[in-house]
Amino acid sequence: MAKPTIIVVGADKGGVGKTTVSRTLLDYFTAHQVPTRAFDSEAPKGTLKRFHPDITEIVDVTSIPDQMRIFDTLSDASVTVIDVRAGLLSPTLRALRDIGFLDAVKKGQFTFLVFHILGSSIASLNEIEDTSQFTTDAKYFLVKNYFNNTTFFEWDQATHANYFKKLKDAVEITIPKLNEMAYEQVEVASVPFLTFVANKGPKNDAANYSFVLRGYVRHWLGNVWAEYDRIKLNDIISATPANPRVQVVR
Amino acid sequence: MQQTPLYIVASPHPRVGKTLLARLLLEFFHSEKRQLLGYDLNPHEPTFAGYFPRWVFTVDIADTRGQMELFDRLIADKPVSTVIDLGYGAFEQFFSVLGEIGFANEARRRGVETVVLFVSDRAPATVRAYGALRRRLANVAFVPVHNESVSVSFDKDDFPLSRPELRTISIPRLSPIVRGVVDRPSFSFATYLVKPASGPTEIHDWVATIFNAFRDLELRLMMGRLTSALGGVSLGPPPLPGRTPRG
Repeated sequence: MAKPTIIVVGADKGGVGKTTVSRTLLDYFTAHQVPTRAFDSEAPKGTLKRFHPDITEIVDVTSIPDQMRIFDTLSDASVTVIDVRAGLLSPTLRALRDIGFLDAVKKGQFTFLVFHILGSSIASLNEIEDTSQFTTDAKYFLVKNYFNNTTFFEWDQATHANYFKKLKDAVEITIPKLNEMAYEQVEVASVPFLTFVANKGPKNDAANYSFVLRGYVRHWLGNVWAEYDRIKLNDIISATPANPRVQVVR
Repeated sequence: MQQTPLYIVASPHPRVGKTLLARLLLEFFHSEKRQLLGYDLNPHEPTFAGYFPRWVFTVDIADTRGQMELFDRLIADKPVSTVIDLGYGAFEQFFSVLGEIGFANEARRRGVETVVLFVSDRAPATVRAYGALRRRLANVAFVPVHNESVSVSFDKDDFPLSRPELRTISIPRLSPIVRGVVDRPSFSFATYLVKPASGPTEIHDWVATIFNAFRDLELRLMMGRLTSALGGVSLGPPPLPGRTPRG
């Protein structure tokens, strides 16, 4: 039987696409039929919950009662995604260490993944070192979300290497840019990306979204999932045997 | 399912006869009394729309709104015979969007067959563009067009057919004087043809040749669809020269 998997998605500051990445993960697991639940720490109103209301609860990760809600029920789902409030990635990981969760990971009781959504600032890149002290027994992913025209210092090899080549166990993931209007229409629709591509509404009713925008989202989501396939995400969570690549369909 | 054609008249270069071809095609549909529609994707010089203000809309696909205005409408509206005059400036953008959003497959599902009439010339970049486009859009029909006013010779190896049942379309050269008449904003091929020939008949012969080529094309497209539907015979694209067939 597969170990429960916990995925923490965090960033040192807001507006870098953290929740967008969480949403693509939830869609990925839905498409692969992996039982998944999510916790949104953007209390009181959670952005993630707006798009995935059926599987998302709003929590305060730093409060003990909510920690119990999350970690005392880990075996109930194959995958638990925790969308951490901006700026609280390191404190959250510290809290996980303090409650003994990281020790449990070290003992092989859980599979632990950290998706660190990077910003285009030196301060954000400095956060990598802070985060890495908690990811010794985790799969640590440095996520470059190209939602604006940032280059993550790729034009400066020395700076780029200083941050991205230091940690040999950290794996880079690239999230390409999504057409702005397509992104905004999904925002307005308040449905998962996959539901938008299928031209469905929040109640799985038929919608009337633009074919062009649905096409842009489908193409983009396919590229994002290709990155998840590249890092063998489905194999890592071990919820199902290694499957052929699942395509984003209409 | 019956398929209504969507013709995209394209070339990566200007002044090769795209608008002339688009005009001829629209007038051909009109002469056959079909419901028809056109799109002029040259927003800075909408010559095609100028000839047919009732049937042709000008669209700028440089931004997402324009792309939605065009492609959403092509998908949502009831299929009618449609011609797109694709300005050379929008060439890359158009095919990039068309491929990215999966237009051809969705159009086929809704009874629209996408056909690219690619106006050839001798430039190596044009040959490369044709090959790259065919590889990128393997499920779209490509028909090379040889405009004899642009280049005297045509090398069919540079512009291989995308399906075995199709043929290259040739646009014969027109004399400069007649070309000047034809290019007038008020000139209509269909109207000219119904008039008794009291003057030069070069236009009559020229238009008849081209209209016959269009009829032949549509018959061949229909033949291809029937063959595919009846026998399950693969009508996949013949391999490009020097490359292994796609799987």
